[in-house]
Amino acid sequence: MELIYFQLLAAILFCIGIYGVLARRSAVLILMSIELMLNAVNINLIGYAAFSSFGSAHRNLGQVLVIFIITIAAAELALAMAIILRLYRNKNNVNVDELDILKG
Amino acid sequence: MNFHLIYPEFLLIGLAFLVLMLDFFLSEKKKYLLNWVSTLGMAFILGIALFMNQQGDLYQGLLIIDGYASFFRIFFLAIGIVVTLISRDYVDSNISNPGEYYAILIFTILASISLASSGELLTAYVSLEILSFGLYVLVAYDRYNPASNEGGVKFILLGAFSSALILYGLSQTYGLIGTTRFNEIAVLLNSMENISIGMVVGFVLILAGIAFKLAAIPFHMWAPDAYEGAPIPITAWLSVCSKVAIVALAIRFFTNGIFPLAPDWQPILIVLAVLTMIGGNLLALVQKNMKRLLAYSSIGHAGYLLMGLATLVGVSDEGIVSKELTHLVSNGLIFHMVAYGATNFAIFFCLIIVYNSTGREDIQGLSGLASRQPLVALVMVCSLFSLAGMPVFAGFTSKFYLFNAVASQGFLLLVGVGIIASLISLYYYLTVARYLYIEKISDNSMIYVSFNSKLILIALLMFMILGGVYPSPLMDLIQTATDSILKID
Repeated sequence: MELIYFQLLAAILFCIGIYGVLARRSAVLILMSIELMLNAVNINLIGYAAFSSFGSAHRNLGQVLVIFIITIAAAELALAMAIILRLYRNKNNVNVDELDILKG
Repeated sequence: MNFHLIYPEFLLIGLAFLVLMLDFFLSEKKKYLLNWVSTLGMAFILGIALFMNQQGDLYQGLLIIDGYASFFRIFFLAIGIVVTLISRDYVDSNISNPGEYYAILIFTILASISLASSGELLTAYVSLEILSFGLYVLVAYDRYNPASNEGGVKFILLGAFSSALILYGLSQTYGLIGTTRFNEIAVLLNSMENISIGMVVGFVLILAGIAFKLAAIPFHMWAPDAYEGAPIPITAWLSVCSKVAIVALAIRFFTNGIFPLAPDWQPILIVLAVLTMIGGNLLALVQKNMKRLLAYSSIGHAGYLLMGLATLVGVSDEGIVSKELTHLVSNGLIFHMVAYGATNFAIFFCLIIVYNSTGREDIQGLSGLASRQPLVALVMVCSLFSLAGMPVFAGFTSKFYLFNAVASQGFLLLVGVGIIASLISLYYYLTVARYLYIEKISDNSMIYVSFNSKLILIALLMFMILGGVYPSPLMDLIQTATDSILKID
């Protein structure tokens, strides 16, 4: 195993996530794509931490970063789902193309 | 640990939970007290913050409490008090569950303060997320209003996307440079012979995330919708607090962290600044809704701020040009943010007063305001002139400082674009002024202004004029603030 595989995997996952955000029409699927991007970041960080050449403090920092990101991503997901649920209650629809009250 | 440095922050957390708790015990009729509790609490904390001048690092440099952080602590507490005061009538008549509203507002103030004092990327990211989470909730706060839901969904989806971009940049910085602290990044970047493409990708992604949060064109799609959907006081808060907090972070990050790479990121920011200044002001020309017009106007102002950020560090072939000029630009930036904040609160407060009585937020609804409610019309027209950058008002002086600083950094063409953008903006500001003073009254409903509201309006107007004609005390404060972060050799 080498670092480059982790970097490649992370970069590919990140790009798939960006593609999902741009191409998907359902708000929930866009949210899943964003989660994919965040997990790509986690893989990147874990890869860098595992193959770190900067010493053990640097290695620990990477793992701490991952835990922070997982936590914040979970909170973000919960919040976004709550707001999307409100939208669904009011409009019976979560398709972002049909969000057209506000425009101009 | 020297926890006494962040007593005001601890007190803010306490205040937020106090407001949340009180909300349980107050009956519906007594909920207006929550506003008084939050205002007085914040005024008390502001009083403590004014007398705190110890400096130091916490958590081994994750939080840096220096003159810069103290300045922004006072600034955010002050605008927090203003936004709580202007929320009062609006919340009482339009918003259910005021307890959470004020508590979340206080949490966003806390997050902005820690954003301005963070000395490390992860701390900055966590503060940024706390700030954004608060703003997501507040934008979507009007639960039964589909427009508010829609604005909230657009805001949270694009906000989460931009924080993922920032995070990827953070992970690249961590992996390739080996640290996330700003000052260590600068040292390591200076000692490196060649900068790998991965690092540049990381920094560019961080810049893109910052541009997203600042609503710079072409990353502005969420801003007008979120601004229009949100309750009006939150629109005001969104247009001031989030921008100021991001710029406060960016000044520290650029001047302490990635200034060795300035030739790489400067062109990107210059392009963004030009697009944002011109685009934001052009798009504002066709707006009919006042909130949306102010959203585009605030995008235009983000363009001026980006112009300052782009020229923060002057570079030539020999390296960093001069510390004095960096000082000048960051002073101009902070002064412009202060003036823009006061002005924006004034204009949004006028809008809230009109909306509370008539329920209208389109420009047509303002017609004939001068004869219906002269004081509100006067404050509104003064703040429009200040936003446009007309002399006497704070907006002129601050724009003059900023443009002057950018010009002395050697970016005359950029300043030219800025001046053209201000001229464009004059057109739509004056259109609104025409509705206020010249157009005939279209609806005759009474506009009620309470005595407290009049006091706040006059205070904001005084600040606008005072900042315009006698800015030197404010400039001295800003000078001491920037003194403590600019240590470029």
